[in-house]
Amino acid sequence: MNRDIVEQVLRDYEALRHPDADGGLEAVRAAILIEDVFDVVLSDADIDPAVLADASALAALAARLRGVV
Amino acid sequence: MCGVCGIVSFSGPPDLALLRRMTGRLGHRGPDGNGYYRDRHAALGHTRLAIIDTSGGAQPLCNEDSTVWVTFNGEIFNYVELAAELRRRGHTFRTASDTEVIVHAWEEWREECFSRFNGQWAIALWDRRAERLVLSRDRLGVRPLFFIRRPGGLLFASEVKSIFADPSVERAFDPAGLDQTFTYWSPVAPRTVFRGIEQLEPGHYAVFSRDGFRKAPYWRITFPERGREPVQDVRENAEALRERVIEAARLRFLRSDVPVGAYLSGGIDSSVIAAVVARYTAAPLRTFSLRFSDTEFDEGQYQKQMSAVLGTEHQDIVVGRSDIAAVFPEVIRHAETPIVRAAPAPLFLLSKLVRDFGYKVVVTGEGADEVLAGYDVFREARVRLFWSRDPGSAKRSRAAELLYPWMARSPGQVPAFARSFFGRHLDPADPALSHRPRWDSTSVIKNMLTGELREEMSRAGTEDVVTAMPPGSEDWDPLSRGQWLEMTTLLAGYVLASQGDRMLMANSVEGRFPFLDRDVVDLANALPARHKLFGLEEKYLLKRAFADLVPEEIIHRTKQPYRAPDAASFFADSSPAWFGEAMSERAVAEARVFEPSLVSGLLAKCRRTGGENMSNTDNMRILAVVSTQLTHESLIVGGGYGTLDRALPDPSVAVDLVNDDRSLRRLNLIS
Repeated sequence: MNRDIVEQVLRDYEALRHPDADGGLEAVRAAILIEDVFDVVLSDADIDPAVLADASALAALAARLRGVV
Repeated sequence: MCGVCGIVSFSGPPDLALLRRMTGRLGHRGPDGNGYYRDRHAALGHTRLAIIDTSGGAQPLCNEDSTVWVTFNGEIFNYVELAAELRRRGHTFRTASDTEVIVHAWEEWREECFSRFNGQWAIALWDRRAERLVLSRDRLGVRPLFFIRRPGGLLFASEVKSIFADPSVERAFDPAGLDQTFTYWSPVAPRTVFRGIEQLEPGHYAVFSRDGFRKAPYWRITFPERGREPVQDVRENAEALRERVIEAARLRFLRSDVPVGAYLSGGIDSSVIAAVVARYTAAPLRTFSLRFSDTEFDEGQYQKQMSAVLGTEHQDIVVGRSDIAAVFPEVIRHAETPIVRAAPAPLFLLSKLVRDFGYKVVVTGEGADEVLAGYDVFREARVRLFWSRDPGSAKRSRAAELLYPWMARSPGQVPAFARSFFGRHLDPADPALSHRPRWDSTSVIKNMLTGELREEMSRAGTEDVVTAMPPGSEDWDPLSRGQWLEMTTLLAGYVLASQGDRMLMANSVEGRFPFLDRDVVDLANALPARHKLFGLEEKYLLKRAFADLVPEEIIHRTKQPYRAPDAASFFADSSPAWFGEAMSERAVAEARVFEPSLVSGLLAKCRRTGGENMSNTDNMRILAVVSTQLTHESLIVGGGYGTLDRALPDPSVAVDLVNDDRSLRRLNLIS
């Protein structure tokens, strides 16, 4: 998956976020997407609203886990 | 859309009177005409719902020298293009129908012709020189085709009741077919719920001759290896999907010589199709909707909104519980199988509304949920896969709370139950991870079966659909595996059958499904899974592709699957008159499927509650018992055909080469 596609995915996700929702549950929702799209496995510590706060946080996390982005 | 039937007999001429009885039982599928062809070894019957070339196109129909005959149910939507190509190759056409394309295409391309067809069909071709019958069914099973093989012969028909017109055919439940029904919601082709009766698998053709019977696929449901999908760009794929859906909807709306209406459910799928028709065709559009007096199931607000946006002439029907109960015996006589939901009944009433307004064709949004990943079962699978990576994680277990937001008692409100239900059998290596919860919860029905039937099921052996998954499917995305299972089981066996073809044709209405177009399905199956189910956002690409045509409230509303009141339909008001007899201890014992004492207990529970707030399991149980009893009464005991037997008017095609070798000449088929 090239960088353009990664950025596209993150932008698309950002547009779908539910800002008023339960933060913990939104972190789970984001984690499901990250694991599926980037083929990574997050630790419990990563499934956290602070770690999955926005598109740039997601990008940083995916980069750390995959080491390629 | 029509009814087809036929007899092949290598031991002597087929019985014409039997063929006419078989044809008569398909009168509801084709009230506009009928016909037959018979020679020394084959007889073909047809009832016609005239849609294309209404003045010509009567069937059975033959090629130039009357050596190949066809009886056909369905539509070949690309028949105009195929006819042009066949004319260039020297074929001569007598009609402007899609039916005639089939015989010439068969002559030209043999078995290869089926992969060239874009449509929905059940076809029987008889080549009288080769003494060979060819049966074919469309890719995903829109049109039904049943048959029974016997020594030196074969009977086939659009519906089982037509085959049962032959009194020598055994009428009995098939234990393995019932086992599948009470697991997957329907039998999986070639299995049916009747012993000895087979259905041709979708995407297959079969050949029957003196050499025997063989069948083969001309198309398979398949997906690319995860990560190797041809196009990864979401914008490019959205544009491609839009183009193909528009073309599929246009073909299905314009290729008809009678007016075409559209269903509007209030969801995105039918809204997209209706919007495309309204935007890209010049014809006025009439839309039809199903509403419920129970607000829990009603989507009238969204239907009205979409109709207003499109400016359609709109009709709806409001269905209550007693309406469902009143028509249920007729619904089962048409469905010809036990079902575990009452949902087909309101669709029977909807197609009646369509017919009452003089329409005999509707386009619908059927198929989008399977092809573009709209069902909750796919979201459920993704949640279960996520959770299975660390089943002990409290954070991961919370994912179950994201499921079924439309339910009154959603998992988010009862998280402990959600975790216990969705957390069972969390095996990431299971190819059916997506479907285990549904299959497990449905299989509970089998606890009510008689010991005798359970033993028969055990002897018949388990036919696990998972073992039939194609080689290489382990490299597909998990979503693709779930889609394969859904298309192979529920789509063909229930959605397109009990809820689709049978409920439409019961009222002589043809359904057309743009999302099941050959080119749409091929594109959809080649998409990256994330373009269909983006995280937990279902039908992501469809929403993106048509965001300009469908109001945002409909695009982004919480998906509500089509449902109807189940047990409450039979108990909330007074039970209908037929119910007591069909569910009596004597009738249940006679059918020998369910244990009478357990049925009595279930009925008592339903009566206490009025069928309200029953568990999902009990709702399925009651529907399974009621529909099984009615299937037994109407098809196995055989006394309940009622209105389905129609006296046939004079045939428009009557070719009998056994008793009247001048019949071809009278039809001007030979000089």
